[in-house]
Amino acid sequence: MTNLTPTRNKQIESYLAGLDGALKGMLPKERDEILREIRTHILDSLPNNPEAGVETVLRGLGAPERLAEQYQTEFLLTQAGHSFSPWLLLSTAWRWAHTGVRGIAVFMLAMVGYVAALGFLATALLKPFFPNRIGLWVGHGNLVFGATGPGPGVHEVLGSSYIPVTMLLAFGTAVGTTHALRWLIRTRRRPAH
Amino acid sequence: MQGNNNGERGQHWEAQLRKGCLEMAILSSLWSGRLYGLEILRCLADKSHLEVAEGTVYPILARLKAEGLLQSEWVEAEAGHPRKYYWLTASGRRRAQEMAKAWNNFSASLAILVEPVLRGK
Repeated sequence: MTNLTPTRNKQIESYLAGLDGALKGMLPKERDEILREIRTHILDSLPNNPEAGVETVLRGLGAPERLAEQYQTEFLLTQAGHSFSPWLLLSTAWRWAHTGVRGIAVFMLAMVGYVAALGFLATALLKPFFPNRIGLWVGHGNLVFGATGPGPGVHEVLGSSYIPVTMLLAFGTAVGTTHALRWLIRTRRRPAH
Repeated sequence: MQGNNNGERGQHWEAQLRKGCLEMAILSSLWSGRLYGLEILRCLADKSHLEVAEGTVYPILARLKAEGLLQSEWVEAEAGHPRKYYWLTASGRRRAQEMAKAWNNFSASLAILVEPVLRGK
């Protein structure tokens, strides 16, 4: 058993308390497992660093908030790769975006996909209330979805099919974005073949 | 100034390369048997010169376990506190082999390409 002075012990407990606080959002069982393993790592590292002390070991682990963030990112990536929840996929993409350019691109894709799906859904729901303002408008070489309204040379082309078509587009865009995100997250760690 | 920038970019690229290999290195370190966290870190440093921050390895171990590539168990040790030992599952062994083959093919192809660069011709 490693003999710890009260000061050393206090430093370790303070670090672990910080880590515990920063791991909020994770299941208690997962947090306990992480804290137990990190405590073991610190105790195992000390006898080999008698001159360096606790500070060096804790510095090697990084700030508790940073360590917790890495755990949360890894757990989120694992869950999201097997999830169909747009919220979980978006949060994972957001966290991934903090780690590099590819993450930013994935988050942008997620936003564009889900915002487009919501946009289609919103216009489908609003169509019965604004039948003459919402539609697929064609004219002057433009194709516009949503609220524009008729004008000189501009007419609506979908008519009564607007609602089923946009509902289908909303569903297809959301499902397509979800599958693309799941695939991108799952293949993030695989080697190139 | 330009020389410094090139040097920093080179170091950054090398760091990214090492980071990218970390998952394969961790799985490979467990190929011969079970190890606990600190032993994995020492194995990486001794056998591959991968000086990895401790804070990077433990979250990856947790994820590899969650993916079913590793299994773990707490074992009482002489040190006076239990240690969490990891080992490869069948799926982890398959993944390690896939990665090792891909890495081998990739490095062999690149070796041909960089050979004239190394010879300076």
